[in-house]
Amino acid sequence: MASMMQEFTKGLWKELPPFRLVLGLCPVLAVTNSANNGLGMGLAVIFVLTLSNVIISLVRHIIPKKVRIACFIAIAASLVVSVEMLMQAFSYPLYQQLGIFVPLIVVNCLILGRAEAFAAKNPPLLALADGLGMGIGFTLSLTFLGGLRELFGVGTLFGASMFGPDFKPFAFMVQAPGAFVCLGLILAGMNFLTMWQAKRKGQTVDPILDAGCKGCSACRKLDEIANQKKLEKLQPAKG
Amino acid sequence: MAQAALPKSSLTVTSAPFWHCGRTLKGMMTDTLIALTPAMAMAVYQYGYHAVEVLAWAGLAAVLAEALAQKIMAREYTADDYTALVGGLLFAFMLPATTPGWLVCIGSALTILLGRMVFGGYGMSPVCAPAVGWCVMTISWPDLIDINGMLLNWDLVHPLSELKYFGLEAVAGLSLPSLMLGQNLGALGAEQSLMLLLGGAYLIARKQLRWYIPVSFLLGVFLTAQLYHLIDPQRYAPPLFHLFTGGTMLAAFFLMPYPSASPVWRTAMLLYGLFGGAVLIIIRTYGIYPDGMAFAVLLANMFTPLFDLIQPKPFGGR
Repeated sequence: MASMMQEFTKGLWKELPPFRLVLGLCPVLAVTNSANNGLGMGLAVIFVLTLSNVIISLVRHIIPKKVRIACFIAIAASLVVSVEMLMQAFSYPLYQQLGIFVPLIVVNCLILGRAEAFAAKNPPLLALADGLGMGIGFTLSLTFLGGLRELFGVGTLFGASMFGPDFKPFAFMVQAPGAFVCLGLILAGMNFLTMWQAKRKGQTVDPILDAGCKGCSACRKLDEIANQKKLEKLQPAKG
Repeated sequence: MAQAALPKSSLTVTSAPFWHCGRTLKGMMTDTLIALTPAMAMAVYQYGYHAVEVLAWAGLAAVLAEALAQKIMAREYTADDYTALVGGLLFAFMLPATTPGWLVCIGSALTILLGRMVFGGYGMSPVCAPAVGWCVMTISWPDLIDINGMLLNWDLVHPLSELKYFGLEAVAGLSLPSLMLGQNLGALGAEQSLMLLLGGAYLIARKQLRWYIPVSFLLGVFLTAQLYHLIDPQRYAPPLFHLFTGGTMLAAFFLMPYPSASPVWRTAMLLYGLFGGAVLIIIRTYGIYPDGMAFAVLLANMFTPLFDLIQPKPFGGR
């Protein structure tokens, strides 16, 4: 149970998908021009991610290693189609707003990344916790970014006016360049926060080496390098 | 432990270089300010108090933004070396004289913050900071920065808007001297073509600026405009019109050679200038903005790493 809790909470802050793992950036940049869109997109991703994680985890021993990616995509695609149909049925305006980005969840790195890095190696319950945590983290990030951009770019939050009629909206924020600039500033802010926290604890943090993405081989390599460096630092002290 | 006990002042150890040629950033920026002065004077002469207000707000906001950013980033204070002031003034040069103060302040602060400080400070940004500020402002508040719309009280025309919306006949009556002296509507500083040309010449004479980028940029503008003019003289303006309107001169002498955003080797600088000039005319011809000078500068900046691949052969190298 403790490990389930751990797998669930890591998606909320330590491995927050768009801002820590920097995964699934296509919807992060494209649909976050309002808080509502971000929330809707996030909910769709929660649904797909959780179910795909559980299903993949259930069938992980059946899938041959060589064709696993194709299988993951087939599972994700069927889930995405059902989400798309549900959206068309129950929230058509949101469906129209999100447009092409709902079908594009299939190729979202986040879905494939969690399937490959976690669900294919762990039992269903842990995969469920991971998918739910990652999905909720993704939703919160998207809503936060969407809210931020909507607040300054239109002057509203979830459609409610915030600054009164005299506010001249900073339209840069809701347009494409604003998405990139906002995301970059948030990433910088996250790194700054991490380093500040570590400094208070008296540690040093390397934003690249300590990024919470142990799943992929590139970061494992970095980990090895980091460990080696730590060892090298320790050895002269011993001698 | 023994080191800490020694008095600090007696053993100050510094690294090379120990011998300086005396050129400082502050000196460079002082010269740039002197080069900008004639254009500023003309702007004030033409628009009076409005121009002073815009310039003052821009300079103030830029310097304060840099000081604040350096405080937050725990950097050494360099806000008094005039780089921020010049950045803010260059940004103000691209605005109409009646721009509201709050817009000038936000734009000038963003010029410094987004164009410079997020990359680490002056000399580290891969883009021309004033152009970044102008682009963000244009995308955000196009109507408040539109030259024709903001200067309705003045009984003159903005040559590039006229060309864009009413064709070549509308600007055929404008004489070259009036364009050079900025006797038309325009951005408050960018329109003073002759004064900026003088300022640029001063910078080159003082060896603060090498001639490659300005000359090749102007040449690029001239050649591309000439090409269009040859294709259809009835539709496209003659090259001299493009040389002396809008922000061509400002871009040539002050924005394109932005340090750290432009290439360093001779051939690369010449190609960079030609490319920027060609892009400027293409944007003016097909773009939705009458004068896309800042966009042309930013696009050329983006190509700088590519141009920087052209390098001199080192002595003895193969």
